[in-house]
Amino acid sequence: MITCDEFFTEFGDYLENRVSPEVRKELELHLSQCRACHVLYDSTCKTVKIVTDSSSFDLPQTVSDSIIDSVMAKLRADKA
Amino acid sequence: MSFLSEVPLEDRLGPLEVFQKGLGFIPNLIRAQSLLPRVIEAQAIKERAISLQEGALSRVQKEQILFCIAANRQDAYCAAIDNHVLRALGVSEDRVNDLINNHRRADLAAADVALLNFCLKLGSDPASVSSKDVDLLREHGFNDQSIIEAAVTTGLAVYRCTLSIGLGPEPDFESPKFPAKPTPAAPRSLDHAHPAPQEKRPYVHAPYVSVESFAPFAILHKSHAFIPGLFRSQTLRLDLIAAEIESMGPILMPQDILTRSQKECIMLAVSAANLNSYCVAAHCNLLRGLGLPAEEGDQIAVDHHQSALSQKDKVLLDFAIKLGARFADFSRADILELRALEFTDKQILECVAVTALNNFVNTVQMGLGVEPDFEVPPAFERNKVYLSAAADRLIAGASVVRPSTAAGDDPDADLAAAARAGNLDAFEELIRRNSRPVYRALAAILGNEDEAQDAMQDVLLSAFKHIAGFQGRSKFSTWLVSIARNTALQRLRERRNDESLDERAFDDDRDFRPRQVRAWQDNPEQEYTQTEMRQLVEKGIMALPGKYRVVVMMRDIEQLSTDEVARQLGLTVPAVKVRLLRGRLMLRECLSPHFARDVRRVGQ
Repeated sequence: MITCDEFFTEFGDYLENRVSPEVRKELELHLSQCRACHVLYDSTCKTVKIVTDSSSFDLPQTVSDSIIDSVMAKLRADKA
Repeated sequence: MSFLSEVPLEDRLGPLEVFQKGLGFIPNLIRAQSLLPRVIEAQAIKERAISLQEGALSRVQKEQILFCIAANRQDAYCAAIDNHVLRALGVSEDRVNDLINNHRRADLAAADVALLNFCLKLGSDPASVSSKDVDLLREHGFNDQSIIEAAVTTGLAVYRCTLSIGLGPEPDFESPKFPAKPTPAAPRSLDHAHPAPQEKRPYVHAPYVSVESFAPFAILHKSHAFIPGLFRSQTLRLDLIAAEIESMGPILMPQDILTRSQKECIMLAVSAANLNSYCVAAHCNLLRGLGLPAEEGDQIAVDHHQSALSQKDKVLLDFAIKLGARFADFSRADILELRALEFTDKQILECVAVTALNNFVNTVQMGLGVEPDFEVPPAFERNKVYLSAAADRLIAGASVVRPSTAAGDDPDADLAAAARAGNLDAFEELIRRNSRPVYRALAAILGNEDEAQDAMQDVLLSAFKHIAGFQGRSKFSTWLVSIARNTALQRLRERRNDESLDERAFDDDRDFRPRQVRAWQDNPEQEYTQTEMRQLVEKGIMALPGKYRVVVMMRDIEQLSTDEVARQLGLTVPAVKVRLLRGRLMLRECLSPHFARDVRRVGQ
């Protein structure tokens, strides 16, 4: 079985689903037998899902509108 | 004398012994590289590992491959040496003559005929090779170790031929007579440029070999933060991988003659002319790592004449493309043209060696059907059909093609054109459509939402001021976000924040290790409201160091692909991956106290 270091080297690509079938097989065997790496994998997947689903940093429409309105007013005034 | 000046070689020079011992003489092709002994060293490493010893294929089988490919290319120099070596290995003159005229009629075992069929196809029209050709080899009893060796031996043949055509060494022996009408290389079929996607790739079995267990992988991982699929596909032959990696160093790493960027541009342009998507994607990435904007790499792949390279560098690429992809037209006159532009013989030699190395890699990749490591630039994929015709015109000195670019499918293209013409309504619609990524780019870099809102006005005004400079070489949204990014970086500099976003050195991801090892709840989101979750995430992201924050924002909040993040930030994909993983792990540390099992809600 691969070591935890070897698992960690491939971990980023595994999260992104960018490993070959051969590598995936090794990583999944390791995950099934190593609790520490399993916890790391599970909680990192959940982190990514939480971040992705969080709708963070959505500029409120009213704020966005007010900034754009003010920019356009300035540009139209300059043109006139 | 060869095309280039030569200096006497010291007989004690290590790499020469490889040839002296293996062949019994020093070929003139080696003397023709005497200006740069490190280039000779690169060839010696390859020859020692591939042609000069028995492997999964016998020496005679490999020499027959080398000979047939040289003869098929009408390369009198290489064919003469291979003829000599074959005879020394005990192959009869009649057999050699049959190999030249038609290997199918030579008195060969059926398996050897199949082997030569495969290698000749790979050597003359690599883009046409498919898994079916590899299956045919298996039917004749070749295992995957020998199939890898066949591809690599073909690569070596192409490498040698590229050197011999580019350097024009004096013959070492009389050349065998070629048949009056050589079998013409199959015309490039454009179907080949788009192989069936369902094909299993790579074509050979590639067992997992970890970075930690194989020193050449560890070296690559340290310098490039990833292991190219080209090498991962050859893990049944670690000896060959080691030699390939070792032999690249002396050609690609030194900067004393040509720069790294010039070499990468050569490999990009010649790979593009060879319609090799894998290598185009790889070199676009490497060039980004050297600071070249993504659009510029795309442009070199599509048509370097339209790029921002100096005129001198464009001529250098013309030279390399002709040598690497249109070698039948190459002559001493091409060397003279470079000399007239004050390229030194050492520079020309290095350009020839880089082109030869590129063709080696292109050939091995096509032979093994290695999947690209990175997204192939869409502009290149779209222009492949055009490119195969364009390269001919380019060599003929006729007009160059005008490429369509990444902006081809920009939904904002019409509005952007109207805005450029001064239409304020069109501009307003454009910024309303694209305000969200602008804001996120600002927030990501500035790490402060109030300041991001404040900076947004500057960005939009600046975009209008510079709209005439928007040439449509990228999407409008990309262009606008790049203004946001530059504005934010300028503000960071003004507040003398020492946070660096664009340092190019690779981070070593192994020095960051997670400390939180408690398992998380099954459904951590259920404990918090949507607003609370958003606040936790925003707080966590804002606490990240800038270079991680930007990447996490783009990948996980804006949900751009890793390749797109790399393009927009001007980083290589591996560099983005390292930052992304570390950013995600830091966020995980930060969120862990809230979501781990057996912990009550923080604050309760």
